[in-house]
Amino acid sequence: MSERHVSVPGHASQLGVLVRFLHEFWSDAKVPQATAMTFELALEEAFMNVVMHGSPTDRVARVDVSLAIVDGELTLIIEDDGPPFDPLTLATPNISANLDERRVGGLGVFLMRKMMDNVRYQRLESRNQLQMIKRVGNADE
Amino acid sequence: MHTVLESVGKITLVSPRGRLDFGSAADFQAQIEGAMTGAGTAPVGVLIDCAGLDYVSSAGLRVFLIAARAAKRAGIAFGVCDLKPSVREVFEISGFRELMPVHADRPQALAQMLK
Repeated sequence: MSERHVSVPGHASQLGVLVRFLHEFWSDAKVPQATAMTFELALEEAFMNVVMHGSPTDRVARVDVSLAIVDGELTLIIEDDGPPFDPLTLATPNISANLDERRVGGLGVFLMRKMMDNVRYQRLESRNQLQMIKRVGNADE
Repeated sequence: MHTVLESVGKITLVSPRGRLDFGSAADFQAQIEGAMTGAGTAPVGVLIDCAGLDYVSSAGLRVFLIAARAAKRAGIAFGVCDLKPSVREVFEISGFRELMPVHADRPQALAQMLK
């Protein structure tokens, strides 16, 4: 079992800190490249949602990220103290729309849901919690 | 991330390298816009060669979408090629493979675009 935490202000400039956090995790817990990429994408999309929806003008949300691997299952938890916001309520993008009609809004959450085994949102007292789980394939896959 | 621009005949090649995420999307968008409107005459086509692209998020997809749309409006051929498996997966799930021409590699893309 391996577990790591990081805490950052909900500001776009912190994305690089989160990418480094994941890279450090991967150097300890060997996971397939595709799985690592899925988590990098999920964390970026979830974090940018907090940056855009979870930080009212007068204050910046605090974002706590934890990643753990237990018995071949990776669990990523993103918590923030911003206003209630459930990203899973965002409308699903129409992925068969043509070039002129296509919109990107909601695509990040859509990708996250498609690529993870399980995504769950909870409002815990004054915090939003997004939990994402994916079973890790064999490293040589 | 950094982006290399080069010309092959009347096609402008845009080669992003590294991670195309929220942090690098705006710069990449500016590079593509420059490639389309650049100094002098507009190119016949713009090809995004993704051989060096390791990662793309929805912020990066947005740039591909805007570029494909701008090219269509300007009458410029547009395509992407040489997607790595991780980038290909994101293109497939998001429906972007159907949204714009995705070629296997650079020679095949150039042959198609110069037809």
